[in-house]
Amino acid sequence: MGAFSRIPQLIVYGIISGSIISLGGIGVSLTYSILGFSNFAHGDIMALGAYICLGVFALFTGLGLGNTPIGPLSFGFSFALSFVLALALTALAVIVIDRILFKRLRKAGSIILMMASIGLALGLRNILQFFWGPQPHYYIEKIQVASIIPGLGIRIKPDQVFIIILAVALVVLVHCFLQYTKMGKAMRASADNIALARVTGINTDRVILWTWVIGGALAATAGILAGIENKFITPELGWQMLLSVFAAVILGGLGNPYGAILGGMIIGLSEEVSTAFISTGYKPAVAFAIMIIMLLVKPTGLLGRRK
Amino acid sequence: MEVLHEVSVKLDAGEIVTIIGPNGAGKSTLMKTIFGLLKPTGGKILFDEKNITGLPPDRIVRLGMAYVPQVDNVFPSLTAQENLEMGAFILTRDFSDRMDDIYGLFPLLKERRRQRVGKMSGGERQMVAMGRALMLNPKLILLDEPSAALAPNLAAMIFDRIAAINQTGVAILIVEQNAKESLKLSDRGYVLASGRNRFEDTGKNLLTNKEIGELYLGG
Repeated sequence: MGAFSRIPQLIVYGIISGSIISLGGIGVSLTYSILGFSNFAHGDIMALGAYICLGVFALFTGLGLGNTPIGPLSFGFSFALSFVLALALTALAVIVIDRILFKRLRKAGSIILMMASIGLALGLRNILQFFWGPQPHYYIEKIQVASIIPGLGIRIKPDQVFIIILAVALVVLVHCFLQYTKMGKAMRASADNIALARVTGINTDRVILWTWVIGGALAATAGILAGIENKFITPELGWQMLLSVFAAVILGGLGNPYGAILGGMIIGLSEEVSTAFISTGYKPAVAFAIMIIMLLVKPTGLLGRRK
Repeated sequence: MEVLHEVSVKLDAGEIVTIIGPNGAGKSTLMKTIFGLLKPTGGKILFDEKNITGLPPDRIVRLGMAYVPQVDNVFPSLTAQENLEMGAFILTRDFSDRMDDIYGLFPLLKERRRQRVGKMSGGERQMVAMGRALMLNPKLILLDEPSAALAPNLAAMIFDRIAAINQTGVAILIVEQNAKESLKLSDRGYVLASGRNRFEDTGKNLLTNKEIGELYLGG
């Protein structure tokens, strides 16, 4: 009975971690379908976003900008502003990376692009380590007391509620963008068939730009939220999450952003709930096992379409 | 590899011209070259007296030419209406009147406008593909095997619509392998074989030409 009584609490943790994985997965999925390669650097772009936020926040603190907590949250206006700026700066950074690295390799095919992304992953991680060192950096120093939801016996902190609400809001925003805006529709069209998109007159260069902006900003969000949840960040943050993110994207169906969201939730929940039965150390193995089973049973994923 | 050699094809405004020829004659290659998807090693492509040789497809679209590939010619995860909207991507003005024109040509698409094209039949997809290509009101539309893989009654319906599109003043260049239906409604036709054009005549004459009938129209 002991293991089962922990499950409601673990579901809450699973939703939090699933929210973060989903946000990372959307970018991987969009890059795969529109640019045609698996971006192994996506995890490190998440870490880059988290460190940019840390850097901007340190700058603001140095300038004497206070960080009095907003309501029940553990961070204040200064951190929130750093968060928003980090999204923009990360998006800008990935656009620059695309211009320097991926753009000139576009015609070389998906394997070359994937290899380049592995190189970029190592490069980014080592740049972060060079500037900030390998040791953990504290994101949130304040200790927060979890509230108990009566009846269910679930404990949840205000910051965790914030993570879930922000993730849901961003998913709804991405959904509305993809479904109802001209550029969103052009992105879905390009994901279907970029050659036809070009022949139709769709400005595919701009579609690619938007893909990086959305993927980069959401990756930064995922990195920063992971920092808030864990209270600290290391340069390994993204790389460690990459397996879960890839497992989520494959589970949901490669190239379908909605699949990435669904897959992210399932992976997050499975990883957390599994700890009721097996050691926490096996969390990555759970994601890996789900990914392998999905590849064997239905390689197109839960919501995947035949290409 | 050079696929086309000294091909010469001409279309007047508002004409329907069919290019027939066996598999591997270079018909699709010719289409792709005209539309800027392939670069010719020599020669010239003129459109509206403008030299468009070597221009990329997205520039050629803006000049008033549209292209419907033989396969993968729709966006399957988009609805029929979204496919048409994509056809008008470069327009910044309101294009609902143009969409009404397309729905006039293909009333079935209006009924199915909210349906995903991936779930549609081959004939319906071909209508979506042609509708998408017509959104910019082109002067010329290139159709690569529009009836390929369609049941005969659907193929007849597509050719009927092609004639209707032509009635609105759009010039149409069709390449077809099974070309009887296509030649019937064509003003002129070319026979392409081994990357060269061999014959040129009116659609009717090509249909009744015994030698061509035996060689290229299945007797």
